[in-house]
Amino acid sequence: MKLLHWLLLPFQTFNEFVLQLGRAVAIVAIALMVVAILIQVFFRYVLNNPLPWPDEAARFAMLWMTGLIAPLAYRRGGFVAIDMLVRALPERAAALLSLLLLTIAGIVLGWGIDIGLGEVTGFMSRAKTASLYYVSLDLEWVKVPRRWMMMSFFVGVVLLFVVNVELFLRSLITVLGGGDDLADIGPPEDEIMAE
Amino acid sequence: MLIWFLPAFLLFLAIGLPVFFGLIAAPGILLWLAGQEKDISLLYRNVYNGMDSFPLMAIPFFMLAGELMNRGGITIRIVEFSQALIGHLRGGLAQVNILSSIMFAGLSGSAVADTSALGSMLIPAMEKEGYTRRFAAAITAASSVIGPIIPPSGIMIIYAYVMGESVAALFLAGIVPGILVGVGLMFMVRAVADRYELPPARRVVTTGVELGRTEYWFSFVIVRLNIGWLLAQLVPLGEAPTALAEWLALGAGFLVAHGFMLGLRRAVSSDFRMVCKRAVVPMQTPILILGGILAGVFTPTEAAAVAVAYAIIVAFLILRTMTIRDLPDVLARAAMTSAVILLLVGAALAFKTVVSLSYAPQILADFILGLSENPLILLFLINLLLFVVGMFLDAGPAIIILGPILGPVFVDLGVHPVHFAIIMSVNLTVGLATPPMGLVLFVASSVSGERVETIAKAILPFLAIEIVVIFLITYIPAISMTVPRLTGFVQ
Repeated sequence: MKLLHWLLLPFQTFNEFVLQLGRAVAIVAIALMVVAILIQVFFRYVLNNPLPWPDEAARFAMLWMTGLIAPLAYRRGGFVAIDMLVRALPERAAALLSLLLLTIAGIVLGWGIDIGLGEVTGFMSRAKTASLYYVSLDLEWVKVPRRWMMMSFFVGVVLLFVVNVELFLRSLITVLGGGDDLADIGPPEDEIMAE
Repeated sequence: MLIWFLPAFLLFLAIGLPVFFGLIAAPGILLWLAGQEKDISLLYRNVYNGMDSFPLMAIPFFMLAGELMNRGGITIRIVEFSQALIGHLRGGLAQVNILSSIMFAGLSGSAVADTSALGSMLIPAMEKEGYTRRFAAAITAASSVIGPIIPPSGIMIIYAYVMGESVAALFLAGIVPGILVGVGLMFMVRAVADRYELPPARRVVTTGVELGRTEYWFSFVIVRLNIGWLLAQLVPLGEAPTALAEWLALGAGFLVAHGFMLGLRRAVSSDFRMVCKRAVVPMQTPILILGGILAGVFTPTEAAAVAVAYAIIVAFLILRTMTIRDLPDVLARAAMTSAVILLLVGAALAFKTVVSLSYAPQILADFILGLSENPLILLFLINLLLFVVGMFLDAGPAIIILGPILGPVFVDLGVHPVHFAIIMSVNLTVGLATPPMGLVLFVASSVSGERVETIAKAILPFLAIEIVVIFLITYIPAISMTVPRLTGFVQ
C-alpha cells in the first residue's frame, strides 16, 4: 500500500500543479476567443472591412482551451457517463469496475498518444495556418505552423493519460482497502455545468 | 464485423465508461480486430477536425453569456417580472416558476442553470406560501427543460454541427415548441390546483424598487428602439432605400414608440413600471441574439460572442453586480463545460465516420422499415426509444450518438431534417427530468433538500403533459416548421 501511495504522489502533484496552470491558460484562451470574434464583428459590420485572422485565431484559442482544461474536468469526474452500475456496487467492487474502465480509457489514450505523435511530427503538421503570423527571432513575420494548433489535442491527450494513471492508482488503492486515505479531487463546488 | 461497433459501444456505456472514450474505443477495437489500423488514425484525426470548427465556438460563448447573466443577478428581475404579470393566476407561484423558465430559456439554454438559479429562489418562496416542497421542486425541474428548447440552445448547436443543419433554422424551430411546453405545464398546474389544494394566488408587484441612472436610461432607450425598429419595418421605403431614409424611419418609429409608452404610463402603477423596467436588461439578450441572426447581421457564433459582450456590459457597467475578481471563475466554468462538450462532439464525428463505413444506417433502416412502413407508427416508436434513452443519458451525448444513426433513416422516410431535429431535441431534453438518471432531478433535489424519488413521483403529471407536447410536435410539423419557414431559413 505504501508503495502505491508513493507511486501516486508524483502523479497527484503533477496534476495538481499542471492542471491549475492549464486552467489559467484556458481562462485566457476563452477570453481571447471572445475578443477575436468581437473584433471580427466590429470590422465586418461596422467598418465593412472583414479581417482574415480572427476566425482562425479564435479556433486556435478554442483548441488550446479544450486541450488544457478537459483533463481537469476528467480528474474531477466531469466526463459524461452512465454511472448507475458503479454507484450500485459496493465500494471495492465499484473500484474494481473502475479499474477496468480506466484500463479501457488508458488504452484509448495510449493509442491517442501514439497516433498524435505521428500527427504533430508528420506531413500534415508541416502545413501553415492560413492567416496567423508570429515574429521570428530574425524579426520577420512568419506564418504560424499548423503543428502549433494540432499540438493542443496531443497535449490534451497526454494530460488525460497522466490523469488516467492517477485515477487508476487511486482505484487500485481503493480496491486494496486504502480508499479512506485518499485526498478528495472532486469539483470544489458544482463546477461542471451541463445542458 | 464493423456493425458490432454499436453493441460494443452500448456495452461500454452500460458498464459506465465515459461516453467520450466509448465513442472511440468501440469502433477503434473493431477496426483493430478487422486489421484496419490506418482507419484508427482517421478516428484521431476526425476527433481533432471535429473540434476545429467556427460554428462550435457558439457553445462556449452561450455558456459564458448565460453564466455571466446568472451571476449578474438577473434571476430576481425575471421572477419579479413574472410575478407582476401572472402571479394572480390559479397556481400563482407555480405559474410564475414556469413563465420565469420560459424567459430564462432565452438567456441561458441550460436546464441545469435554470433549475439551480430559479429553484434556489422559488422553491423556498413557494414553501413559504404553502406549497409542498416536493411540488415546488417538481415544477421547477419540469419547467427547466424549456431551457435547451428555446434558443439559445447548446444541444441544437451540437445537432446542427454533427448533422450539417442550419443552427439558425433549429433555433427558430425551437421557439414555438418551447413555449408550448410552458403553456402545457401552466394548464396542468391549473388542472391540479384544486386537487392539490394549492394556496390562493396573488399578483405581487414588488414595491420600493429603485433603478440606477444608467439602467434607467438604458431601459428607456432600448425599449423604444426595439418597438421603433419594428415599426420602421412597416414603413414602405421602396426596394433600395437610402441610409438616410432608414434612419428617418427608425427615428419616427422611436418617437411613436415613446408616445405609446407615455400612453401606457397612465395605465399602470409606478411600481409595476419599475418591475418592467428592471426586466428590460435580461430580456434584451434573446432579442439581441435572435434579432441579429434573423436580420442577417450576425452568424449564430457571432451572435453568441455579442451576447457575451452584452452580458459583460450588463454585469459590470449597468447592474454593477460583478467585479473583475469574479470573472476568472465564470470563465473557467464556461471553459470546462465547453471543453467536455467539444471533446464529445469531436468523438461523435469520428464515430459518425465508422457509422457510415459500417452501413449501420442502411441496416437500421431495413430493420425499422421491417417493423412498419407507416412513418406515423415509426415516429411513435422512435419517440418511445428516445424517451427510454433520455431516462439514462443526458440530451447532448444522446443527440451526438443517435443523431447520425437515426437522422438519415427518418429523412429518407420524408421527415424534414429540421423537424426531426426538434423531435429529438425536445424528447431528449424532457429526458433530463425523467427518473432514474434525469440530471435536473438531481439538481432540484440538491437545491430543495427533497429526495430524488419524491420529486420523481411528484413530477409525473408534468411529464405526462410534456409527453403530450412531444407527440403534438411529432405529428403536427407546422408547430416547429412555421417560424423557420416564414423567416426563410427553411424552404
